[in-house]
Amino acid sequence: MKYLFSCVFSFCGLLLFSQNKEVLYGLDETPQSLLLNPGTRIINKFHFGIPLMSHFHFNGGSSGVSAYDIFQTSSVDINTRIRNKIFELDDRDFFTATQQLEVLNFGWKNRKEFYFSGGIYQEFDMVLYFPKDLAVLAWEGNANDIGKAFDLGEINVRGDLLMVYHFGVAKRWNKKITLGARAKIYSSMLSFSSTKNTGTVETRFSESGNNIYEHIATNINLSINTSGIAPLIDLEDFNQITNKISNRAFFGGNLGLGIDFGATYEITDKWTASASFIDLGTIFHTKDVQSYSTKGDYTLEGIELLFPPIGSGESAPPYYEDLIDEIEGTFPIDTTYNTYSQMRPLKTYASLKYNFGKTVGANDVCNCLDTGEDQRYNQSIGVQMFNIFRPKGPQFAATLFYYRKISDYLTLKTTYTADSYSYTNFGLGLVTNIKMVNFYVVANNLQWYGNIAKAKSVSLQLGLNIIIDEN
Amino acid sequence: MKKNLYLLFLVTSFLFLFNACVKDTDFNQTDAIELTPILELDFIFFNINSQNFTDIDANNLIVSDTTNLDFLNSEVATEAIIRADFYFKNTNSFPISLITEYQFLNDANEIQHEVSIPIQDGNTVNPVITEFTEIVENNDLVNLTSATKVVVNTIANSSLNTIDGNLDLQSKVTYYIRLEQ
Repeated sequence: MKYLFSCVFSFCGLLLFSQNKEVLYGLDETPQSLLLNPGTRIINKFHFGIPLMSHFHFNGGSSGVSAYDIFQTSSVDINTRIRNKIFELDDRDFFTATQQLEVLNFGWKNRKEFYFSGGIYQEFDMVLYFPKDLAVLAWEGNANDIGKAFDLGEINVRGDLLMVYHFGVAKRWNKKITLGARAKIYSSMLSFSSTKNTGTVETRFSESGNNIYEHIATNINLSINTSGIAPLIDLEDFNQITNKISNRAFFGGNLGLGIDFGATYEITDKWTASASFIDLGTIFHTKDVQSYSTKGDYTLEGIELLFPPIGSGESAPPYYEDLIDEIEGTFPIDTTYNTYSQMRPLKTYASLKYNFGKTVGANDVCNCLDTGEDQRYNQSIGVQMFNIFRPKGPQFAATLFYYRKISDYLTLKTTYTADSYSYTNFGLGLVTNIKMVNFYVVANNLQWYGNIAKAKSVSLQLGLNIIIDEN
Repeated sequence: MKKNLYLLFLVTSFLFLFNACVKDTDFNQTDAIELTPILELDFIFFNINSQNFTDIDANNLIVSDTTNLDFLNSEVATEAIIRADFYFKNTNSFPISLITEYQFLNDANEIQHEVSIPIQDGNTVNPVITEFTEIVENNDLVNLTSATKVVVNTIANSSLNTIDGNLDLQSKVTYYIRLEQ
């Protein structure tokens, strides 16, 4: 159990991730912004991501604890700090993890001004809600909680490892509206989810009077769905496991379909609004599916001795064995192989920005840094909203940002975000365009860069593309 | 000049983004993490009357029963339990005193730990409660966790033939656990 806690808290501090890419959203200088809003107004003519280097995303956080909270150098014993955190967190707190690696990304604009783009990326996404009652039970035991029902329904975890194949199109229909959509095929490599659990366990003073206590399991209904995991269990060689998983990446796994769509609305040349829906889709788990479940109710009162009149050489009744059999009989673990489908975690973005500063790309302006048929400005400020639907409900983030195109080869965007992890998250994105080479790097929680252990979330995105613009 | 400033800004920014550090933390503290839950669990219970004695023989003075407790010498129990408090609550309505014995035996039926509890006499109108707590730790705990079964003997001081009454036992164990690396 101790190892479990070590892992959980290390995980909290170091490997907790989210899906929000608040800096990259609307940063039109990078082709990857199309993956956050297919309706992004793209001004370049062609782009090609350097394979395996065009987008790497690593974003981690926990809503209630940082690595520093647990592992700080302090006179307070680490066990006291862990205990305090366990009681401070609640079952709405969560740990999430997202990692993405883009394999391929390309796009081009045709003569009718449709911008087509496509690619492949690998994604790992996981969310684990903090099962507070179980944590308290494991840390403290039940001695101080006689009469308290510990809720097993707090067990809520989901994880997916998948490859995504996508192709989309964006079109600026008129001077105000740009619309876009992206079709996705998901090839799931691994998946597990345990999100619909119920039941309580409780130790209370006996009402029957048979013994001191009654240990009661009530309305137990626990289940976990897995796909792609069962065939790996018997494999001993690590290479066999990775080969097996890799084979599923290329349509060998459980497939799914999804769609992204988005829009940009240029209200005036000063005001722009945009919104997008990402990963509106489902994966159909039909291969290598194994689901485990158990349910039942049980009351344990200890072992009752009957003192039967036993003759010499006879054995006493098998009380203990009967008890174990009874418990196992009450909670049999059913293994089923039924197919199931699972919605992808839907993400939504919305933003409103005010453009100002020097004109860029206007026909009648000579100091432009970028040219085109419409007016653009080298600075903007605005607000963004992000939402992701998780098993226990949506998680929100609100962002204020400042964007500035400093020169024709350098653009930056700074953000201030309040989300489930923190109310103070400063982010920075830098994009360089040197000749045709486009490089970007994005990070957040910069205020903790002096000691990143204090951050409840960390994020890093970077990539390299080749971009050919209109000129 | 302006271009150089941009470059300087760019390089500085990149260096900043890639130079996050971790300090004032000590991840070796994981070695000090230990879970110390305290678990309250029911133990055994019974309710016997004079017939339990006389079914064997009219003048029989002892009844016995045995149950396995395989978990006691499991790897988890032997490594994790640092103390066990046994609590016995005997409610006696027999008008005679009794003794209950709890003999914890290993697989070879050798006694590893033994508890003997004298129980006061009572009566059917006002049963008498005798409580007893046995704290097991250190070497006694090593012996206890090498046991795999417990034999319970209930011994009467005199014949219970034609005597009304019951002996009711309730018991629990408080396990003090320590899990560490």
